[in-house]
Amino acid sequence: MSELIHVAVKYRALLLNGARVTLIVSLLTILFGLFFGVLMAFLKMSKVKALRALANIYVEFIRGTPVLVQIFLVYYGLPLMGVEIPSIVVAGFDISRILSGTLALVINTTAYVCEIVRGGIESIDYGQTEGALALGMSPARAMMAIVFPQAMKNILPSLGNEFITIIKTSSQISVIGIADLMYTADTIRGISFKPMEPLIIVALIYFLMTFVISFMLRQAEKRMRKGYAR
Amino acid sequence: MEEKSIISIRKLTKNYGSASVLKGIDLEVQKGEVVAVIGPSGSGKSTMLRCINAMEQLSGGDILLNGESIRQMKKLPRLRQKVGMVFQHFNLFPHMTVLKNVMYAPVTVRGELKPKAEEYAMELLKKVGMYEKRDAYPATLSGGQKQRVAIARALAMKPEVLLFDEPTSALDPEMVGEVLTVMKQLAKTGMTMIVVTHEMGFAREVADKVVFMDEGIVMESGSPQQVFEETENERVKAFLAKML
Repeated sequence: MSELIHVAVKYRALLLNGARVTLIVSLLTILFGLFFGVLMAFLKMSKVKALRALANIYVEFIRGTPVLVQIFLVYYGLPLMGVEIPSIVVAGFDISRILSGTLALVINTTAYVCEIVRGGIESIDYGQTEGALALGMSPARAMMAIVFPQAMKNILPSLGNEFITIIKTSSQISVIGIADLMYTADTIRGISFKPMEPLIIVALIYFLMTFVISFMLRQAEKRMRKGYAR
Repeated sequence: MEEKSIISIRKLTKNYGSASVLKGIDLEVQKGEVVAVIGPSGSGKSTMLRCINAMEQLSGGDILLNGESIRQMKKLPRLRQKVGMVFQHFNLFPHMTVLKNVMYAPVTVRGELKPKAEEYAMELLKKVGMYEKRDAYPATLSGGQKQRVAIARALAMKPEVLLFDEPTSALDPEMVGEVLTVMKQLAKTGMTMIVVTHEMGFAREVADKVVFMDEGIVMESGSPQQVFEETENERVKAFLAKML
C-alpha cells in the first residue's frame, strides 16, 4: 500500500498528464461521436436508399472490425492520403498529437451511437409521429419536438454505457504513442522497474473517471423519469 | 341556398402493393354535417379516413377540400391544420402535460401567442370536462379522459373538419359514454365530423348521414333512417343484425 502511494506521489506529474490526455481524448470522442452518431442514425433512417445503404455499410464495417486495427488504419492511412495535421494548441496543449487517435475513436463511436440512437427512435410508437403530423407539424418538428425527446429517455442508459466504453477503449491509442494514462503506466513501469504498482494506480484512475460518469448519468435518468411516468 | 361540399371524395382508390383496399369511393360531406362511416373490419373505413388528411397517399381518384384537390397541395401541414384527426389510440404526447398537449401545436404551428393559445386551450378543456386535469401527464389519465383531451387538442387547431378514427374502440366499455357525449356536444355546435365507428347508437342518433362500407366500396349511404330501417341491401342487413 505504502509502495503504491510512493509511486503515485513520485510520478504524479506523469500520471496527471496521462489522465489529462485520456480525459481530453474521451471528451472529444464523446462530443463528436455523439454528433456524428446522431447524424448517422438519421442517415440510416433516411428515405433515400443510397444513404441508408451507406450508413449500413459503415456501421457494419466498424462494428465488425477491431478498434485496434481502426486506430492503426487511421494512423498510417492519414499521411498516405496526404493529410497533414497542423499543430493546434489549445490551452497549452498540442491537439495534433492526439488527433489521429481521437479521430479513430470518433469513427468507431459514431457507429455504436448510431445504433443506439436509431434503436431509441424506432422504439417510439409511430402513432406519436402521426399524432404530430395530424396537427399540422412538419416531419422535422414531429421528430425533434415529439419523437426525439421521448427517445432520449430510452437512449440515455445505453449512451451512458457507451461513454464508459469510450474511456476504457481510449487506452488503446497508447499503441500509436499517444501519452495517455495507459501509456503513462508503461512509461512508469519502464523507469521504476515496478510492474504492478503503476497498473493498479492507473486502473484506479480509470475507475474514478467511469464512476463519475455513471453517477452523473444516473442522476440525469432520475431527473428525466420524474418528468413523466409511463 | 345551394349546399356546397366541404369534402368531396371522387373515385378514390388505394392499393397496398397488389392488394386493393379502396375500389372507388365517392362521398360528399357538407359543412356542418356529421357523417358516420360503419362497416365490418377490413372494409377500408379507416384507410378512407386517413386519405382525407393525407396520412395515406391516394392511389387513384381525388379528394377535394373546399373544391381544392388535396393532390395538388404541396404543403400537407396546411391541409392537416384544416382537417383535424382523433385517433383510436389517442396518440397524446406523454412528455407533455394535458394543457401543453392542447396548446403546443397552436403555438408552434399556427404561431399563436402563448397567453391566447393557453386561454383557448383552457376553454376547450373545460368543454370536454378535463380542465381540472390540465397539469396532469397523459400516463395518469384513463382512456376516456385521454380521448377527451385528444379531442380538445384537435379542436385547438380550429379545424374545418374533424376526422374520428374509431375513437371509442380502444376504450373500456364504461368509458365509451363520456367520449360519445363530448362528440354529441361537438356535433351540436355545427362541427363538420366524419366518424368511423362501431357505435351504432351514435351513428343512428347523431349522424346526419350514414355510410356503410364493405370490401373497399360504399355499399349504402343515406340518412340513418334509410340505412338502419329501410335498406334492401342484404350485406347491410346482415351486418346490422350482428351489431344491434
